[in-house]
Amino acid sequence: MHTVLLRKLLEALLTLFFATLIIFALIRLAPGDPVRLMLGHPGEIAAQGTSAYDEKVAELRAELGLDRNIAVQYVTWLGRLAQGDLGTSIFTGKQVGSEIAARLPATVTLSLSALLVQIALGLIFGMVAALRSGKLADQLIRVACVALASTPAFVVGLVALALFAVKYGVYEISSDFSAARLWLPALTLGVLGAPQLVRIMRANLLTEFGKIYVSSAQSRGLDRKRVVRHAARNALIPLVTMVALSFAGLIGGAVVIESIFSWPGIGKYALDSILVKDYPVIQGYALVAVLMVVLIHFLVDVVYSALDPRIHHKGEAGREEKA
Amino acid sequence: MKRRLNSKNPASLIIGLVVLAILAIAILGAPLLAPYDPVAQNAAERLEKPSEKHWLGTDRFGRDILSRTLHGGQTTLLSSLLALCAALAIGLLVGMAAGMFHGSALDHILMRIIDVLLAFPFMVFAMVIAGLFGTGLVHLLLAVVSVWWVSFARLTRSVVLHAKNETSYAAAKVLGASNLAIMRKELLPKAISPVLILATFELGTLILSIAALSFLGLGAQPPAPEWGSMLADGRAHFFQAPHILIGPAAFIVATVLAFNLIGEGLRDRLDPYEKLEL
Amino acid sequence: MRKLWSVVLLGLSLAVAGCSGGNSNTGNGSPASSSPAGSATQSEASPSPQASGAEPQELVVIGQEINASLDPVKPLTSSYLRNIGAGEALFKVNAGGEVEPSLAESATEVDPTTWEIKLRPEVRFWSGKAVNADAVIASLERSKSLDLQAQPFLNDLTITKLDDYTLQVRTNREHLPVPLNLSYYQTIIHNDEASHEDVATMDLTGMYKVTEFAPKQKMVLAINEDYWGRKPTIPTVVFEEISDEQTRVLSALSGRSHVTLNVPVSSLTQFKDNKEVYLSAAPAASTQTIYLNLSQPQLQDVRVRQALSWGADRDELVILAAEGQSTPVTTWLGSNPAYAAAKNAVYSQFDADKAAGLLDEAGWLKESDGIRYKDGKPLTVRLMTWGGDKALGEALQSQWTRIGVKAEVQHGDYSLIETARESGDWDASIEAWSTFGEEYAVLSGQYSSDGGANYGGYKDEETSRLLEELKKAGDPQSRHDLALQINERVAQQAPVISLFPRPQVTAVSGSLQGFEEHFRQFENVVNANLTLTAQ
Repeated sequence: MHTVLLRKLLEALLTLFFATLIIFALIRLAPGDPVRLMLGHPGEIAAQGTSAYDEKVAELRAELGLDRNIAVQYVTWLGRLAQGDLGTSIFTGKQVGSEIAARLPATVTLSLSALLVQIALGLIFGMVAALRSGKLADQLIRVACVALASTPAFVVGLVALALFAVKYGVYEISSDFSAARLWLPALTLGVLGAPQLVRIMRANLLTEFGKIYVSSAQSRGLDRKRVVRHAARNALIPLVTMVALSFAGLIGGAVVIESIFSWPGIGKYALDSILVKDYPVIQGYALVAVLMVVLIHFLVDVVYSALDPRIHHKGEAGREEKA
Repeated sequence: MKRRLNSKNPASLIIGLVVLAILAIAILGAPLLAPYDPVAQNAAERLEKPSEKHWLGTDRFGRDILSRTLHGGQTTLLSSLLALCAALAIGLLVGMAAGMFHGSALDHILMRIIDVLLAFPFMVFAMVIAGLFGTGLVHLLLAVVSVWWVSFARLTRSVVLHAKNETSYAAAKVLGASNLAIMRKELLPKAISPVLILATFELGTLILSIAALSFLGLGAQPPAPEWGSMLADGRAHFFQAPHILIGPAAFIVATVLAFNLIGEGLRDRLDPYEKLEL
Repeated sequence: MRKLWSVVLLGLSLAVAGCSGGNSNTGNGSPASSSPAGSATQSEASPSPQASGAEPQELVVIGQEINASLDPVKPLTSSYLRNIGAGEALFKVNAGGEVEPSLAESATEVDPTTWEIKLRPEVRFWSGKAVNADAVIASLERSKSLDLQAQPFLNDLTITKLDDYTLQVRTNREHLPVPLNLSYYQTIIHNDEASHEDVATMDLTGMYKVTEFAPKQKMVLAINEDYWGRKPTIPTVVFEEISDEQTRVLSALSGRSHVTLNVPVSSLTQFKDNKEVYLSAAPAASTQTIYLNLSQPQLQDVRVRQALSWGADRDELVILAAEGQSTPVTTWLGSNPAYAAAKNAVYSQFDADKAAGLLDEAGWLKESDGIRYKDGKPLTVRLMTWGGDKALGEALQSQWTRIGVKAEVQHGDYSLIETARESGDWDASIEAWSTFGEEYAVLSGQYSSDGGANYGGYKDEETSRLLEELKKAGDPQSRHDLALQINERVAQQAPVISLFPRPQVTAVSGSLQGFEEHFRQFENVVNANLTLTAQ
């Protein structure tokens, strides 16, 4: 057990290392200079002569260490990281760690709530579609799912806002992170993410029904309830991978939904930072995102062993199956 | 409970194919079928509601939305199908390799790469590509495929691991079949069905994502019509003229639906387990 | 696939944010975008029915973006602080475009290079510290050394103390309008000894004190009880960032926000039948302008550039790209109310025939495909756009195609435009610089050979000569005339093509009284006369 944990930890560290390396190299390849972007244009009216501007740029670059060799910058950053320091934002001058920590709760709350909605919808409608396979209910669910999966998120979000905030006045449009403002973005995000889960659940269930039939072909009088229960349990296992993928996506920040509902999460913060090439923030964000994904996968392992007792016996191999 | 004999449910496959055929005719025949020039602007007729003259109305430049939708289908479908195939191929290959040599160094390395990509801010990729290679649709596809294969790979791998527990796999092993043969004969058929379903479903998402990156310069450039960017551009007038979205949205839904039906129809054919109706 | 979803989400949000009029980017890459949009809306603490009887206590202002920091020397921060009534400069510009004293009591021009500014002895920072000559000089010095954007207004000034409440300002040039320079938000007066990192320690002079701050999210302010001037009556102001333009519109429609800044022109119909909200559309003094790269061979010919200007149907552009919420302007200064005469100069009306004639004359001849060629090469213009200017680009593309130009639009992130400018590989791009300010500063930044906004490398002897004359000119009338001459000369040489003033729309709740429409709305929302009535 200890060795397994240790290996997991090593893997996680390796993943993080890869991630930092790639993000570090890539973000510096992107066009745009954070220093120039931060300084913006010299004033509201264009100035004559730009020597002062260029000097300032050079000065800031030196101050931020951006004039040094990329390898040196990377090692410096890793060194700070080892001390738990994510660095300082070029734009706000604030600690990246605390900036992310300030926004993470909003994103995690929204993601978890949306995930619950997704799972509930996925299970219910997936089950109905499988049980009514080929019938009207199945076809209706299919069309609804396809329509939702092909609708831009802004349509659903804006319609929801127009209805609940403007027409019925039961939702407040503000920039706060509060429990009272959670339900609408959570529902919207949940509904938008549900179609894939519904379809996968349906497919898995149908496969399981087939298996059970094969395995119990000789035995007579199979009880419908038991078949469904058994199949549902088995169908859940592959579903966990989907849910994990879904969660990993959500946790990175659902930018459109966060922006439409002005939910103060990490998505918009990250996007803004990417657009202005705020290197320390992007690096910090990528690191936290990878960390979350690693964490989610670890949790998935736990869920797996709970759902599928076989995994205990099979050890390693079974545990890896979730991937 | 009755067993459906030979019940491969061909209906969905057929309906899907028919819808796809109609779409293909409409889109390929756009130059003949479209009533107007898709890029001709007419300020006097802007934002008109659907009418006899303009069946799907006009956009902010007074361009006929039906004509744009028909013409735009070529770009959209060609590019999204290309991206889909590329991502599918990479995903299946990587997923099968990882699953087949599960536990090996190869598997570990692939899985780590996948983990990183899953968490990676995609926008950074897109930006780098736009910055290094320039703007345009091809580069968008490059950016999309570079991360999109990941989910297919993960799904494939999990299916493969599942399949390795089954008797047919053990039998093949015992009979001394080569890894390649096992991959091709045992694992691919099993992996392809869930992955295909996922893929048909993802098509809609992909089409939407083509528009999603246009602000970075990735994607179709004006005035070329393209479904995804038609939706994105229509957003500004969403409350004033929601009909702008209807044309492209309906075509996207029809396309995705067709592929979904075909995908599930194919699945029924490929699925190693017989179906059971309850 | 989750990943993909988030991609889509990301993208759409951005696409959308971009559509909002292009002013939204944090990077303030384009000058147009450096006008922060903030809007104040007032609402009861919550739109709950029981509050309807009570006097509303809170003014809610919603902007596209709010500050990321509290320190006035950080880029743009001072504009938000000024906008919301927290910070002030020595002078201010009123809605009519005239300079008025604010923290200063008066200013007199002693001789062509010397001004004397009297301060008000009663003004105090929030901390109680006197705003005397030393404090003002320290504040301006700090801005000058730390805020690059303040430098154009301060670099030419040498400020010394005559007595505790009198400043002497010496200028490098004659007849520099010192009060105007000291009215820009970048010259906001702050206590240089205080730490501006934190709400508790920051120290300004405004009628409202910041009590709560979440960067780029929300700022809450309360009345400054020791304010030197007329005190406001609304006890609390909330300034929030809602970056999505359509969400801002819905916020205004829902009745929560009292002032909503940067309302997209495409949403005007949503306000049509609304009796609780009205729109204020003071035109901004900045011109949507196409900058041409004069080092490209096809654009070196002045006739081609003129043809592109004649071939732009500005009336149609206003409809297609600005929903009719602007008026055509044919020369650059035209968006400045003081130069209304320039509105229709040179390119008095859309004339495709004239454009065609000029192109024929320049040797670009139309061939069967409708495109003009010279020496076998097509006449191409690649127009780079970003943010909300995509529609403008598309409309121009269509118009230029009609006169036989193979026009391409490259829509993308602003960093792509910057990169292209550095490498020189671009033909045309769109910017909207402010046309309001001291004539020489404004014009030389655009058209002198080392002007910061002279992207295309425009170099013209006649223009330079006129600029030199303007630099020395003393009386307002001759400065005005010279500015007009330069403006016309530039229009004829056409290194840039001016289109229309950038529309600026603000939604204001009917329950708010005393709101003042201003051509620089983004820094003039809160004033002491605002009152709220329950609706």
